[in-house]
Amino acid sequence: MIFTEPVFLIFFVLTFGLYWLMKGREARLSLLLVASMIFYGWWDWRFLGLIGWVIVVSWACALMAARLQPGSAGRRVLLATTIASHLGVLATFKYFGFFASSAVMVMESMGLAPSWPVLNILLPVGISFYVFQAISYVVDTARGDLAPEPRLRRVALYIAFFPQLVAGPIVRAASFFPQMERAKRLSRALIASGLRAFLIGFVYKAGIADNLAPLVDPVYSGGDLAAWSNLALVGATLAFAGQIYFDFAGYSLMAIGVARLFGYHIPRNFDYPYASLSIADFWRRWHISLSSWLRDYLYIPIGGNRGGALATYRNLMITMVLGGLWHGAAWTFVAWGALQGAGLGLHRALFGRSSLRIGWLPALILTQGFVLLSWAAFRAESFADMGAVWLAFSGLRAGGPQMLAWYVWLVPGLIAMDALLGRHGRRLARALPALKRPAVYWSGLGATAGLLLALYPLEAAPFVYFQF
Amino acid sequence: MNLLVFAFAALALVCAHLLRAARPGHLAGGALAFLVSLAISVMAVKVAAASLGLGRTTDFDRVVNHAVAQVEADPRAPLLVFTGASYSRNALDDEALTRQLRADGYPHRVINLSLEAASLAEREAHLEAFLSRIPRAPDLVFVEVAPAFDQHPAQFFDNSKFSLRGIEQFDLRTSAWTGVGLLQGGCEGAADCVKQAGLTGAHFGLNALNVGLVSGGEHPEDAGDLAAYDPQYTPRETVDSEAQLQGLRAGPDFAPRPGPLWIASLRAQLDARLTARGVREVGYYFPPVIDAHERAYVDGLCLGELAGAPCIAPTDPALLAALEGEVWFDQSHLLAPGAEIYTQWLANELIATGALDRAPRFQISQESAAP
Repeated sequence: MIFTEPVFLIFFVLTFGLYWLMKGREARLSLLLVASMIFYGWWDWRFLGLIGWVIVVSWACALMAARLQPGSAGRRVLLATTIASHLGVLATFKYFGFFASSAVMVMESMGLAPSWPVLNILLPVGISFYVFQAISYVVDTARGDLAPEPRLRRVALYIAFFPQLVAGPIVRAASFFPQMERAKRLSRALIASGLRAFLIGFVYKAGIADNLAPLVDPVYSGGDLAAWSNLALVGATLAFAGQIYFDFAGYSLMAIGVARLFGYHIPRNFDYPYASLSIADFWRRWHISLSSWLRDYLYIPIGGNRGGALATYRNLMITMVLGGLWHGAAWTFVAWGALQGAGLGLHRALFGRSSLRIGWLPALILTQGFVLLSWAAFRAESFADMGAVWLAFSGLRAGGPQMLAWYVWLVPGLIAMDALLGRHGRRLARALPALKRPAVYWSGLGATAGLLLALYPLEAAPFVYFQF
Repeated sequence: MNLLVFAFAALALVCAHLLRAARPGHLAGGALAFLVSLAISVMAVKVAAASLGLGRTTDFDRVVNHAVAQVEADPRAPLLVFTGASYSRNALDDEALTRQLRADGYPHRVINLSLEAASLAEREAHLEAFLSRIPRAPDLVFVEVAPAFDQHPAQFFDNSKFSLRGIEQFDLRTSAWTGVGLLQGGCEGAADCVKQAGLTGAHFGLNALNVGLVSGGEHPEDAGDLAAYDPQYTPRETVDSEAQLQGLRAGPDFAPRPGPLWIASLRAQLDARLTARGVREVGYYFPPVIDAHERAYVDGLCLGELAGAPCIAPTDPALLAALEGEVWFDQSHLLAPGAEIYTQWLANELIATGALDRAPRFQISQESAAP
């Protein structure tokens, strides 16, 4: 069940109606938990046991840790065991095949021929997101930053809350738990802001991202990169930059909108990252909930910038390489993470403490050029493909005869328009008070609905980030 | 992917960003404004898509493209078109039939214009598209008559629901005919009738609201091509040999009959339309199936409703005897060796009807005659 499918609409309307008809807080929490389990079980009910395991382990370990002395060896061991358990789940279901095939590759390169059976384990949807959310809960309680929650149902809802369960944003327990206790009232403002976030997300996903996929997939997944011209490879990479942004930002906005309609506030996950003027700035605006998670639970704990320049570069590299691996069990994702680590390190070396500055336009071109090249590593299905795309960017590749439609070059315009509207939309809307008139507003919504229906892809593509 | 996608996405993006919240107002007024504006934008999208020649392209467009290419490769031959559903896709080898007829002295080029689960209305729409793209009208068009489609106007939904093809075909005309068919008893029990009517209405609604029209839209000519004849070499279900023999050897207990009123009317309209477009003669046929009742139904039609037209029912005992054995894909569809037997037999039957001997008119269609 994905947000753009009709079945989700039915599921949402039923849940929403029941939720606001119910009066008691506990009943509403129970309903949300049941709905979340139905939502997750819709993909594959067998994985309900897995998410249940993660929930129970997190809940129990947080409670046990609270009984131990802060900073004691026992608490540290318990914390390490819990994190190892969660990462073990992730390693088994997401990385087993990757590690096994990599080991086989290494052994084959040494002249050995291993003949162990290869397990093909199905990847549970959203596992990377809810495992990270569970880890943050356990770490926060073990550090003493958060009181452990004795009621299992609340921990379960925090980890499995359906709007952000399968593709984030990764929500912090300190922000979510108080919201469960707060009284909620259905108001016009709540509905308007929830629907608006959902509508923009829907336009991003169904209107734009899904329609960019036909420009990307034939090139990157067609099996014959050599057939495409250099311009086609550059264009497809540009289209992928648009696709992944509109897809993931779209999902995040829809998640934020749906959560808001139930009275929950989820922080924004994207802040127009293609307007960034540095790679550090990009990571403050792209997948904000993941980058802040990596900062707080990986980069800072391994030393952050506390051990001098070299240690900082090392920590940046470790963080981004693991961040890359988080995105997918493939060496190309590791390479993408390493590129980000190198980019952040280089930026820090050049601009971190020096007064070196360049104008905004060169900064934008350099930053986004780097981001675009790194998307080639992210999307490529092999290092050979990645190399071919990079060569295409340089113009040093011979290139094939196949071209992409010319309108792929409109993608940057669409991204720029979105950023401008996002940044200045409020001011523009204020300058045009007529937009708030009910007749104009509802007419505008009607026209948007008409456009979206025509843009709606019948074969709804799953969200790109579901695979992570 | 097409240019309209960008234009509409940009427009939708502007609206979504700028429409923040309405001041409180009258609910009915807001609803009316929403609906009127929705209707206008739906119409505008239809006009824009039509002016750019965009449509939801389906496999049937690819079949038409293939058929047009066949005609272009054989520009002077009189055309003999067969249009049907999966029965014909698996049974009718148009290239082999062309060779067979030519060996017997008939210059016709046979075109198979069939696709699985294609209703008569869907076939008619694509026949129109085919006719508008070829320089002259076919000499003969043979239309498959199949009991499943005659008796179940919403048969398509057994094959596919909410697909691009389903939405594309359920326009006002197809939906209306399906509705009439359901009203005339083309469903089994109240629950089935409600379900089929609901599906028809839902598909019509999605069609009317342009769902998938721009995202899945392209020029039908750009959709690639697909040969209608789809030979199968491995059975998809085990056909019990005893049951097969029983079915194939059962004598036809037919009697002259008309088809259900709605499909008989639709067939009559199609006949008139094709004739108006210059088709010399419209005939009917049905590829062989194991079920004797289905064959008998078509035989009854040939003697009743379709008595005035060339009509080829697969009831010849010699044909059925030749089809005993490993030639069945399933109960209703032939494997390639079965298709070979049927195609040979069909050539002889076509010649026997005398339809091929009547002089072709080679009438120029309106489109190609236009300057």
